[in-house]
Amino acid sequence: MKTKSNLYRKEKIYGLLYVTPPVLGFLLFTLFPVAYSFYGSFTDWDGLGQMDFIGLSNFKDLFTDELFLKASFNTIFMMIGIPIGIVLALLIALGLNRGIPGTTTFRVIYYVPVISSLAAISIMWSWAFNGDYGLVNQFLELFGIKGPNWLMNKHTVKPALIMMTVWKGLGYTMLLYLAALQSVPRSYYEAAELDGANGFAAFRHITWPMVKPVTFFIVVTNIIGGSQIFTEINIMTSTGGPEYSSASVVFYIWQKAFNNLQMGYASSMAVVLGIFIFMVTLIQFKMNEKSSLDI
Amino acid sequence: MVKNKSWFTLVSLILILSTVLAGCGGKGNGEAGAGNGNGNAGKSSETKELTFMYRGGTDEQKAYTEVVKKFEADHPGVKVKMVVTAADQYATKLKAAITGNKVPDVFYFESGDLKAYVNSGILMNLTPYLNNNDDIHLDNIWKYGVDLYRYDGDVAGQGDIYGMPKDVGPFALGYNKTMFEKEGIPLPDNDVPMTWDEFIEVNKKLTKDTNGDGKIDQYGTGFNVNWVLQSLVWSNGADWIDETKTKVTIDDPKFAEALQFFADMQNVHKITPSAEDAQTLDTYQRWMKGELAFFPVGPWDMSTYEGLPFEYDLMPYPAGSTGQSATWIGSLGIGVSEKTKYPEEAVALVNYLTASKEGMEMLVNAKVQIPNLIDMAEEWAADTSTKPANKQEFLDIVGEYGRVLPGHYTYNAEWYNLFFTDIQPVLDGKITAAEYVKQEQPKMQKLLDKAIEQEQKSKKK
Repeated sequence: MKTKSNLYRKEKIYGLLYVTPPVLGFLLFTLFPVAYSFYGSFTDWDGLGQMDFIGLSNFKDLFTDELFLKASFNTIFMMIGIPIGIVLALLIALGLNRGIPGTTTFRVIYYVPVISSLAAISIMWSWAFNGDYGLVNQFLELFGIKGPNWLMNKHTVKPALIMMTVWKGLGYTMLLYLAALQSVPRSYYEAAELDGANGFAAFRHITWPMVKPVTFFIVVTNIIGGSQIFTEINIMTSTGGPEYSSASVVFYIWQKAFNNLQMGYASSMAVVLGIFIFMVTLIQFKMNEKSSLDI
Repeated sequence: MVKNKSWFTLVSLILILSTVLAGCGGKGNGEAGAGNGNGNAGKSSETKELTFMYRGGTDEQKAYTEVVKKFEADHPGVKVKMVVTAADQYATKLKAAITGNKVPDVFYFESGDLKAYVNSGILMNLTPYLNNNDDIHLDNIWKYGVDLYRYDGDVAGQGDIYGMPKDVGPFALGYNKTMFEKEGIPLPDNDVPMTWDEFIEVNKKLTKDTNGDGKIDQYGTGFNVNWVLQSLVWSNGADWIDETKTKVTIDDPKFAEALQFFADMQNVHKITPSAEDAQTLDTYQRWMKGELAFFPVGPWDMSTYEGLPFEYDLMPYPAGSTGQSATWIGSLGIGVSEKTKYPEEAVALVNYLTASKEGMEMLVNAKVQIPNLIDMAEEWAADTSTKPANKQEFLDIVGEYGRVLPGHYTYNAEWYNLFFTDIQPVLDGKITAAEYVKQEQPKMQKLLDKAIEQEQKSKKK
């Protein structure tokens, strides 16, 4: 008995030792900054000097701040890319799952954007969207269409950014779907075939429900990522686009904090954004729970 | 069993140690990597190490590394660790360093941030070190540049000196001399500015389809509203802000007239590429290819423009109703941290970079700036054999008529930036300038009021 408890104690110590570094890292680099910025959101801190508590005043200003509302709208608008990306990725995954020769090559091609640096990709796409010499407009010219100057026009800048984010995320989503598709047992399709189901019916009643957990995961992570979009915007439209039409919430936070000496106000926006992400994720989990029961 | 356990302990320890060390090591490496590789200084106990944080393109980086190397050679026992960032990341990185209480000993800062940095005790007062210093002759440095970094705790522009100008950047107007000669149009006068009407006339003559494909491929201008509107507004007798720096004055009819003139260049006179084609990149490239007659030239452009496939020179901007040419001068300050361990050496470095003959000569030869020293600048401008010939225009701007951008006067420049954020419909000709200034003034005033309020608070602290 005695030796056993000794062993138990030792293992406990080892366990703790192993757990310590990431926990410390979390406390130091995540929890502390989050708590600090939460406190900062109630102050008029300029990011340099001392912080004065001003209560909810920042939050009150937020909801009448035209640019914040505009940035929030832009951020949500650009999430249109999420369903588009999911549909495209699923189609590609279905295609690549058929065992046609050369699929490995295609998988690699689709995955390359995922592992590339976001900054490099942003620079590349801002060239592609250039109104005069850009690849996109040269392509459109083949069909006799004169393309706009994508990033300098308030109506086309958001679609342009959506196109790019969809392209960038495609490989990752596709890979997840591919893994999910491969885990669907063949026997289900055979049974369906015997029952006379056609291809679409099989997709609707077998494939789609079977990959549902993956779809859920993708939607949740994409919404979180989409809420925090920044690099693409900062590089491709460094002033937030014509009439601020491509500025995202994080872009506005960054401008306020580092260019306009309003760290406190920026923190209050970060808090609102954090709460928004938390709520949306919570709702999705609730909805997922409910609909899981139906299957 | 025992063997297994000790193996387990060992691995655990290694893992934990390596995590901890990797944490520290990573940081150390990062800093070393950012510094220069000039590690031949003597014993560490005797070496005084300064951190110098700056920004710039590759030409500037090369020039500054050379100057700092020379500084180290001239100041034995002082070692400078250089930290450089891309221009658009500089503000973020500096403010992060300030928040983290790791302010570099010597660093660039925007003149607009002067008040905030002084009020928060970040910038050291250089005056005691500059007075009675045999190495420094303030009267031989552009007054405009030094005054930008003066602050008496209330008004910027007077009082103690908290930074030295890295350089002064007069934003001059250039023209394609080769194009003028080819079209047989007399060259612009170096001293008498054109009127707006004359300017439009010349532009119309220069805007044409040169290869007969029905598309215009040579334009008069391709100005960026962010950087050229100031010239038009000021020379028409208007401004963004009033004398007291508390009221936004863009609703002045003179202001609207200047803005309308800018928009009309595109929409009415069609002497510039269309609104959507007017990306800076594009007009810059057009100028470089010799497809534009007029384009702004800053001293920082000189090294690039050296290789232009045509001759260019400088001229005054066309003048509005005041009859006077106007433009702005950019500048970046170099300041010293209030908390530096070696104030003497830090000031010596600032001086070396901004006011010493040795440093200035190297930077001017690298063609990244005009000389800060007036006597050197005059000698430099008198040499008309180097491009551009009319370098005197740069000096006239700095010495006589150049101004600082309006955002400099206020605690932050948010109110001023908003003006350009919303401006596209005017440039596209969808709304008139008069309508725009009316709708935009209250929005900007609100942000300015907020900045003033912030400034009051920061003074109390």
